[in-house]
Amino acid sequence: MRLALESSAKGRILGILVLLAWGIAKFPLEARLEKRMEDTRLGGYRPTASLRQQAGQAGFIAALGGLRAAVADMLWIRAHMAWQDVQYGRMKLLFDTCTAMQPRRVSFWDIAAWHMAWNGSVHIENAEHDPIVRRAKMREFYRLGEDFLLRGIESNPESWELYDRLGMLYRDKFKDMAKASAAYEEASRRPGHLEYTRRFAAYYLAEVPGREQEAYARLLALFHEGEHEWLPTLFRQIQKMEERLGIPDAQRIYHEVVKFAGTPGHAESAYAALRDLIKTGARQPAVIEMARALEQKMDMPAERQIKLPPHDQRPPE
Amino acid sequence: MSADNPITVATVHASAHKLFSVRRTWAIASNTFRDLVRQKVFYFMLVFALILIGTSVAMASISFQGQLQTVMDVCLGAMSVFTMLLAVLSTAMLLPKDMEDRTLYTILAKPVARFEYLAGKLIGVTMILLIATLLMTAAFCVVLYYWQGREIENIRLNDPVERATAAIAQLKAGTFTPTLFGGIGIILLRSIVCATLTLMLSCFATSWLFTVIVALMMILAGHLVPIARTVWQGPLGSAMDVPFHIAILMRLITVFVPDMQIFIVVDDIAVGVSVSGEVFLRIAGMGAGYVAVYLLVGYLFFAWKEL
Amino acid sequence: MNTPAIAIESLTKEFTNPSVFRRGKITAVKNLTLSVEAGQVYGLLGPNGSGKSTTMKIVLGLVTPTAGRTSIFGRDSRDVESREAVGFLPENPYFYKFLTGAETLDFYGKLCGLGGKVLRDRSRELLALVGLEDAANRRVGGYSKGMLQRIGLAQALVQEPRLLVLDEPTAGVDPAGSLEIRDLILRMKQRGITVMLCSHLLSQVQEICDRIGIMNHGELVREGALDDLISIENQTELTLENASPALLAELRERAEAGGARVLAAHKPQQNLERYFLEVTREKK
Repeated sequence: MRLALESSAKGRILGILVLLAWGIAKFPLEARLEKRMEDTRLGGYRPTASLRQQAGQAGFIAALGGLRAAVADMLWIRAHMAWQDVQYGRMKLLFDTCTAMQPRRVSFWDIAAWHMAWNGSVHIENAEHDPIVRRAKMREFYRLGEDFLLRGIESNPESWELYDRLGMLYRDKFKDMAKASAAYEEASRRPGHLEYTRRFAAYYLAEVPGREQEAYARLLALFHEGEHEWLPTLFRQIQKMEERLGIPDAQRIYHEVVKFAGTPGHAESAYAALRDLIKTGARQPAVIEMARALEQKMDMPAERQIKLPPHDQRPPE
Repeated sequence: MSADNPITVATVHASAHKLFSVRRTWAIASNTFRDLVRQKVFYFMLVFALILIGTSVAMASISFQGQLQTVMDVCLGAMSVFTMLLAVLSTAMLLPKDMEDRTLYTILAKPVARFEYLAGKLIGVTMILLIATLLMTAAFCVVLYYWQGREIENIRLNDPVERATAAIAQLKAGTFTPTLFGGIGIILLRSIVCATLTLMLSCFATSWLFTVIVALMMILAGHLVPIARTVWQGPLGSAMDVPFHIAILMRLITVFVPDMQIFIVVDDIAVGVSVSGEVFLRIAGMGAGYVAVYLLVGYLFFAWKEL
Repeated sequence: MNTPAIAIESLTKEFTNPSVFRRGKITAVKNLTLSVEAGQVYGLLGPNGSGKSTTMKIVLGLVTPTAGRTSIFGRDSRDVESREAVGFLPENPYFYKFLTGAETLDFYGKLCGLGGKVLRDRSRELLALVGLEDAANRRVGGYSKGMLQRIGLAQALVQEPRLLVLDEPTAGVDPAGSLEIRDLILRMKQRGITVMLCSHLLSQVQEICDRIGIMNHGELVREGALDDLISIENQTELTLENASPALLAELRERAEAGGARVLAAHKPQQNLERYFLEVTREKK
């Protein structure tokens, strides 16, 4: 190993040249790796100037050094302290920072939205006297909640929970059933979703004027999946659609429920289905007769039998 | 032996000199390791990390929900920061100390190549970092296990049985995952990259403090490399918005500073994102690249250095 | 002819002035040519800043020369292999404080590619040679100056080099220790090891060196066999014991009659170093 050059400056120049070559060579490698990590939803966080203002200098530097998640947790606790002090403006800013730092943490988006749309709006409802201002301000808080959920979905497109909360927000606060149904529909397409999201997507579609045909098809599909889907809300929505769309009697679902009740071996569940059907509006003689027959067969005491109001003894024309 | 028969001494080292000797490098590495173990900074760091793990417990108990996640966030964050600081602080002192004590003269006056000396130092630091990471991981696992137990207890108390069983199974499957330990491996790799960077700088620098400050600044700037790259790659229109001197600075950062952001996977792991083996391999590949290049550049600086 | 232990050919070394305000070169060594034959004890002398340390560092490959070349037993100093044949003791050496004396030798032995039983035996032998058997398992951090110098000498000898380079081996060591180190160097010489010594303790150099070179301002100003350099050819010293004043007067007369001139007649004095050692040894 021979040191051909003599001055230490030559070593430095050579070293810097190697660094430069590596710097140029690594550029595409790092860009590709960053892209790959983004594709797998890793490192959704990118430091930005606005975050620097929000987190403060120290927090920002700590976040860069590998304490990002811990700093976000600390700010999260601070946001909850702000809630206890009823400082909704401050909460919103802190939630923005937390979610910017940990965009992959679904619970941050979820809870931030809930604080805005539910707690915040209720706070306004109690605190604001002027009804017009109250309405406007409450709506503003709903919007803030919606905004958190939509941004959260952008960072976590595979999360069914955020779509679920969005559906709930549209249903309960905005009273927008079309959007609620669409949100539940999205939730039901994501892994890990709970069964009700699929039902809700169909149920709330039935509330949207002008989309009855579509809703009816969806509800029927649910109905045909089997008895486990025969829930009171499904019966109610289907019968509502049958009325609205003027579905011929022969095609209405009560025939199938009666047929199911007529096959032996499951008297209890068949009776429960008939009772739900009647409770949600069915008055067809075939339904009532079958129910009565089952009551007799099961020796049901009179006080537990289905009671119909006097004017409802006959089916409506 | 008599004075009349002068040159009969050198008999021991009959074998030819090897360009790179594992034995020599290992002698320096194990010696560096012993040296570092005896330095108080190591114990100080370790105690500090343990205190931080304790703090995570305190923080989790005031946090409203997601206590397990808070514990993971704080512990993993503490581990990344402490291994990084340990790497920079302990490496920065190695060369200046040997030079000041003139032990460097005695070592390099032996048939030791300067590359072997540098590689030995780096391996010694790597061993310290490995041990520190293992110790912190062990402490972290104990804390995590305890909090997992508490969370399970919570679920048992609050949820109906059939949902609790599923939730507990999900919790258990999501806590001690391969991704978590892979992420800790990346923390270790990141600290080795930081150590190599510091070693390279200390081959160039004249003072210990300069090395530490520049290394920390480069590591910090390393987290901004994605932004710098965006400015460089961005379309002409958006690049025009950036003032000229900023644009130059961004280019310098992209070229000369390591992209530290690629090593930050733990922040996402605590959230439950799983990382594929392929991404781990790519990160490890980049890390190995940095270590190799910085060691080479450090050698180039050091080979021509006047001692 | 034998290969010289050290060959220095037209060596020049310039340093850049580190001060920003006074840019320019400082020439530490100017066109130096010198060779040390195998088996010699060579003393390189000179005031501080005369370039002797720089010369040594270049020989050992620690500093690269601006011009010229140096070699050890024919191997270029820039080759790592050249250092297999050389042991070096720097000025005021410090070793790793946390190692014991034995571990220190073990460490340096491994750096030279030794290991196992060979190294253990060699280490024990050297500790005995430098008189540190009792301190072998003590931390080097607790060693006195003289002990550090001796363990330094032992580590320099660990791979049985043919050449020893010693920079101020007795600086800061008390006279007794200094004497021991001197004896060690003489023993090395007896074993056939070439020694190059840098010192400004001239009395010691005078006692052990065969040949000296004197450097000043980066240049070799005098070089040669010690006896040739310092003996005054036309003068003779006589030392008598129990001479009566009459005999002395007679001698003086005879001398002047023979054409010689008596320059000085005085009582010789004891060497202060010897006197000091006698006094301190009595106390023990």
